Order: sequence, then structure tokens, then C-alpha cells
Amino acid sequence: MRKHNIIQLLILTVILMPSMLIAQSEQKPTLSLTLKYFNDNNKTHHLLVQAKSKINGKFQQIEGAPVQFYITSDDNKQNLLGKAVTDDKGEAILVIPAAAKKEWLKSPNQNFVVVSTVSNMFEESRAELAITKAKLQIDTAEGKMITAKIVALVDTAWVPIANVDFVLGVKRLGGILNANETLTYTSDSTGLVTAEFKRDSLPGDKNGNLVLIASVIDNDTYGNLTAEMVVPWGAKTVYTTNFDHRSLFARRGYSPIWLELLAYTIVAAVWFVIIYLLMLIRKIKKLGAE
Amino acid sequence: MEKIAENKIIEDLMPQKFGKKGIIWVISLMIICAIGAYAYCRQLYYGLAVTALRDYVSWGIYISNFVFFVAISLVGSLITAVLRLTDVHWSTPLTRIAEIIAVSAIAFAGLIIIVDMGRPDRFYNLFIHGRLQSPIIWDVIVITTYLFISLLLLYFPLLPDLKIMIRFKEKNGKWLQKLYVFLGSFWKDKPAQFKITDKAIQILSITIIPVAFAIHTVTSWLFATTYRPGWDSTNFGAYFISGAFLVGAGGVLIAMYVFRAQYKLEKYITHEHFDKMGKVVVLLALIYLYFNINEFLVPAFKMKKSEEEHLMGLFTGEFSPIFWFAISASMFVPILILVFKKGRTPKWAFAAGILVVVGSWFKRFLIVTPTLLHPFLPMHDVPKNYMHYFPTWEEWAIAGGSLAGALLVITFFARIFPIIPIHETITEIDSHEKA
Repeated sequence: MRKHNIIQLLILTVILMPSMLIAQSEQKPTLSLTLKYFNDNNKTHHLLVQAKSKINGKFQQIEGAPVQFYITSDDNKQNLLGKAVTDDKGEAILVIPAAAKKEWLKSPNQNFVVVSTVSNMFEESRAELAITKAKLQIDTAEGKMITAKIVALVDTAWVPIANVDFVLGVKRLGGILNANETLTYTSDSTGLVTAEFKRDSLPGDKNGNLVLIASVIDNDTYGNLTAEMVVPWGAKTVYTTNFDHRSLFARRGYSPIWLELLAYTIVAAVWFVIIYLLMLIRKIKKLGAE
Repeated sequence: MEKIAENKIIEDLMPQKFGKKGIIWVISLMIICAIGAYAYCRQLYYGLAVTALRDYVSWGIYISNFVFFVAISLVGSLITAVLRLTDVHWSTPLTRIAEIIAVSAIAFAGLIIIVDMGRPDRFYNLFIHGRLQSPIIWDVIVITTYLFISLLLLYFPLLPDLKIMIRFKEKNGKWLQKLYVFLGSFWKDKPAQFKITDKAIQILSITIIPVAFAIHTVTSWLFATTYRPGWDSTNFGAYFISGAFLVGAGGVLIAMYVFRAQYKLEKYITHEHFDKMGKVVVLLALIYLYFNINEFLVPAFKMKKSEEEHLMGLFTGEFSPIFWFAISASMFVPILILVFKKGRTPKWAFAAGILVVVGSWFKRFLIVTPTLLHPFLPMHDVPKNYMHYFPTWEEWAIAGGSLAGALLVITFFARIFPIIPIHETITEIDSHEKA
């Protein structure tokens, strides 16, 4: 009887195998979304979503995934901030529009949701983010000292926050160059950090201006915050170009004088001979006519 | 007696109508030119995509052909100028052959550059955007100058011959007579005219030598001023000039044999001429061999990484059959043939001349192409067909058409004008007899 049951089970497995395999092949991979908040120099706020999925055992950035951003944790249509599509790095950015101001001012804390609707490749997926509103202030003190302060909104007041990690430095080639050998600073009970600027010979613009920057990066409570300030602490950079200088590698009309003299003298000398010879032909013609 | 001899020389050296062989030769060349013209029309219509020229090999057989034409054109200065200035008289019957080879070759060198540009209107860019610092502009200037000087060197010695030909009005036909009258009716055999002509030829012989050296040195600098394996050499100017003299002399050997046989010029282009030209070719082949040893032995001894791939490709790799053929055909075998007195007879000298010219054409191909296949910064994921170069039928047809075109110019010149200077031959025989 038991042997009979095993045979029946095997037959059933063989019959159902193709449909099981089809069901497996139809299962779509999961799209993983990560949502981040940015406060850019206390002027604009933007959200960034990163879309990834595990394909062939590896996490890969997903290009072309449509995403919708919502303010508050409710993905109701009236809370929609905007729509975007991920780029080749699997990222999409949305600047929080002025129209969301009313919702933004309601509370010191803010929730956001990003949703990717069902598509041919992926099932619907979503990610939420909760932040406490905070801002950075940057200033300078005598002796080329940089000070930065973090304050967060508690009820209706901005309160200094302690134990937050900062980066302080100079904005450079899309990154931040540390103000000195210290990589990060932590705010004290007054929310302050201080760093000495030791990059004396750093080239600035034509007036010697540098952009100082204080930044809080990927903080779980406050997100990403930056504050910038222009100071004339750099070396003045005088833009020089040899585009208009005469050289062997310059453009047309800017060849070295010695080359022009040499080349034109040779060409003129040879062509003078040719013209002289043409005149001799004329002379021969005249002699023939006499 | 003297008059009879003079008339005989004139009769022998006057241009002759094409015989059966001549007509077949001209029609064959015209067919090759027509195929080349059709291929060029396809290139104009579809663009350079019809060629095998890609991002790696952007200079293929068009530029090889250009270098070949520039090289062979140098013979004008060798035979006419160098031998004239050194008071060598045996070369007199060969001067016009050498000059017409020079003129036709340099004219087609200019044309083939326009073909290589793809769109011919781009030639205009050379003048509006060209930089004086660029060897390309130097090449444009020097090629134009050399063409003018070669034309003058062809024209001045032709003046006394034109007067002789004008005398045979009925034999010439209407159009040729008009042409002779237009070009030389003012020549009256006056001593003052001879004096001016001699002076002009002397000036031209002196002027053409530095210009001829410049034309091929500048052509070599198109390569040598570029930092690439196989081109990065201080030896290139001298290497190119020695090779140019060799191929030009080889071309003259071929022309001597063909004109001698077709126009029955055995009395004027004698065994002695083949003997002496043969010796000249041996000397030039040895000089070129010396420069080749310099060009390949020194980098091969050091075998720098960047040079290794290029050199091994030539010695034992993809290009080795062409390389060893070119070296043997253009130097070793002609030396072996012509070093012996029996080898300096017309038939053997003709065979040696053919080998020199064919081998030299492939030598130019090897100078241009393999280097381009080995860039210092290879492209990432480059298509496989970029890494090999074999010309398409359009390229072969256009290159063949240009070679046929140059031969056609020489053929028509020989049909219209005496290929051996009549007046100079008479004068030399006279002075020889008087002596």
C-alpha cells in the first residue's frame, strides 16, 4: 500500500513539473529602492532614489525604472511630488517643489515614499523615509578658522544638536577636500564644530575665492545636509593660455616667426627662379620675333 | 653627308603613330582608367565606406601609391640634373624619358591625395585651414613647385625639337601642327636663343636638386614627425630619397627597353646605356639596402616593446611574405642580375627594372600600413576588421587606374613629342665626330 502511494506521488510530480517550472520562470525579480533626502545649502531640498535588483546572483543598478515620489507616508495622489525614471546609474532625482510647502510646514518631522509601479520586469515596490528637519550653518572666525553648526527643528524652534558627524573642507572637483588632516568632526553640545583651515596655497578663482563646505552625510535622522560659504583664502589663479602664442603646435596663423621667415624665404627664392625662367621664355619669344 | 645623317636621325626620332600593339596598349590602359573612374564615382557616392580604410588604417594603398608616385618622380632630377651637372653625356637620350616620368608621376601623386581625402572639396580646406607648421602644407607647396620646375625642364630642351617638327606639317596633321606652332613657333635656332636656353637648363638643373630632395624628405616627414613604431626615425629622409632614386632608375630601365623596342631606337638607346644605367641601379640598390639595414637592424637590436609587434609582423608575421618579397625584388635580385655584365643587357635589365618597380611599390605599402595597425593606445573592444587591412576592389581599381593614368600620360607624350631629344642628339653626334 505504501509502495503504491509513492508511485502515485511520483506520477503526480512528473505531471505537475512543467507547470511548476513555468510558474518559477514567470516569477519577477524584486526591485529594491533606497530613498535619500538632501538639504542643499539651506536653499533647495531634493530626494534621490536608487533602484537595484539581484540579477544572475549580483545586485545591478536598474535603468529606466519609473518611480513616483510622495510627501508623507501615504501614496495618495494628492501627495504626489512628481515622477521620474532612473538613469544609467539606477538613480532618479526629484527636487521638492514649492507646491509641497504647505505639507512640509505641518511638522518638524517629514515622511517620504517612493513607489515603483508594476512593470514587465518587476513587481510593484516601495521605500519609505522619515527625517527630522535640520540645517547647517557655516561661518569663519579669526585665524582662518571654520565653524559649522547643526540645528534641528523641535516643535517650532531650531535647537542645536550634539554628536552629529561632519565633514568640513573646500569644494573641489565635485568632492570635498578636507580643511586639514582631520577627516571628520563631531558636534558638541552647542551643535558646533571648529576646524582650522590649513590649505594655504590652494588655487582659487581669479580673486582667490574658495568655497568652504560643511556636510552631514547619510545621517539616519537628518539625511544629507550641506552649507557653503565663499572666502578669499585661496591663491589667485590667473588663467593663462598659449592658444594665441606662436609655436610649432599652435593653430593656423600662429606659426613661429623663424619658421615663417625660413619657409617664406625658401618658397620666395624658388618661385623667383621659376618666374625668372618664365621671363626667359618671353625673351626667347622676343628674339624669335625680331 | 652630314645632312643625310641629320635627316636620318630626325626620321628615326620623330614621334610615330601607334601600331597595333600601341593601340591595344592604349585601349587597355583606358579600360583600367575607366574602371578606376567608376570605382571613384562609387567612392564619391557612398563615401570612404566602400574602402577598407577604418579608424586604425586610415592611410591604405592610396597613400602607398602617393609615396610611390613621389618616389618615382625623383628620377627627373637624377638623370636630368645630377648627370647633366656632372657632365655625363651618355644620359642625353634618357633625359626626356626621365622628365616625362617625373611630370606624370608628380601630377598623379597630387590627384591620389585628393582621392584619399574622400570628399574632393576637402582639398580646399588645406588652403583655408592649413597650418604652416604642418608637413602636409610643406608637401602641398613642394609638390606644386616640383611640378612646375619639371614642366619647365621638359619644355626648354623641347624648343629646338619643336622647330624641327613644325617643318613636317603634312606628316603631323592639323591638331598636332597647331600644338607645335603654339608651343614653339618662335624658336628660330638663333645663337642668342640657344644661349638663353642653355642658361635656363643650367639654372633648372641646379634648382631642381634641392626641390627634389625637399619633396621626398617632406613626404618622409609626414611619417617621421609622427611618434609611431616604424615611423619614429631620424633616418627617414635619407631612407626615402635613396629608395626614390632606386625606383626612378628602375622605371627608366623599363621605359628605355619599351621605347627602344617599340620605336626601333636601338641606335640611340644602346647596350652601353643599359650597361651604365644597370651600374647606376646597382649603386642605388646598395645605398638603399644600407639605409634599410639601418632602418630595421637598429630598432630590432633594441626591440623596444612598442616596436616589437611591428617588427615581428614584418620579419615573421602577417606581413613577412610581402616584406621579404619587397626586399628581395627591389634590392637583392636586381643587384644579383645587374652586377654581372650579362645582366646589363636590355632584356635582363628590363626584368631587373620590373622587379625594382614592383618591389618598391610593395615597400611603400609596408611603410604605410603595418605601422597604422599598431597604435600606442589601442581602442577598447575594437572590431576585428580594424586590426587587419586588405584593400577593397574599389581601392585596387582606383590605385590601378592612377598607375594606368600615369602610363597613359607618358604614352601620349611619346606619341606627340620625340621621346629622345632630336636636336641634342644631332649636336652631340656632330661634336663627337668633330672631336
